[in-house]
Amino acid sequence: MKRARARSSIDFLGPMLLGALLLAAALAIPARAQAADPVVAQARAAGEVGEQADGYLGFAPGAAVSADVRSHVDQINIRRRALYTSRAQQRAVSVNEMAAAVACEIFQGRIAVGERYRDEGEQWRQRTASQPVSMPSFCPS
Amino acid sequence: MNVRAQVLTGLAAATAAGCIPVQIQAPDRPIEINLNVNIRQEVIVRLEGDAHDLLQQNRDLF
Repeated sequence: MKRARARSSIDFLGPMLLGALLLAAALAIPARAQAADPVVAQARAAGEVGEQADGYLGFAPGAAVSADVRSHVDQINIRRRALYTSRAQQRAVSVNEMAAAVACEIFQGRIAVGERYRDEGEQWRQRTASQPVSMPSFCPS
Repeated sequence: MNVRAQVLTGLAAATAAGCIPVQIQAPDRPIEINLNVNIRQEVIVRLEGDAHDLLQQNRDLF
């Protein structure tokens, strides 16, 4: 009986160690993923790249966008789409609806003064200190 | 004889059909009402929390 108890505690050690390792890994991933992409952040500040009402980043018209910036933006949009797709499936809505819901959040508080953005009518605008961001009509008021 | 048999069969069929209650078939697919704007906004209101989570959890993408 004593032996059985001793063995069971050893049996627990393995999974516990594995669990601790998995937890450490899970904690490490979001910590690394927290920082915004500096290349894109700079392009946004420069008005070359901006948020769009469809939930993706876009290139402002007339801006000279480098290949590096372009590839970073493309990568972000691909990953955003994957994110929207998985969450849309969980909630049984369309990918576009999930993307639009995220766009509402972005337009509400993630467009800084001076940044450019593309509104619902696909017009590019610049956020100024005096003018609030033009919210898409599908966003809850 | 042949004609009479046919008439009788017809009558029998008609009588039988009369006894069967009328069946209304439900459509295979739900009836779609296209009110895009309203439905969309309603869905987006429902997704507000999810959108907030996605932004918070993926700072590198937003």
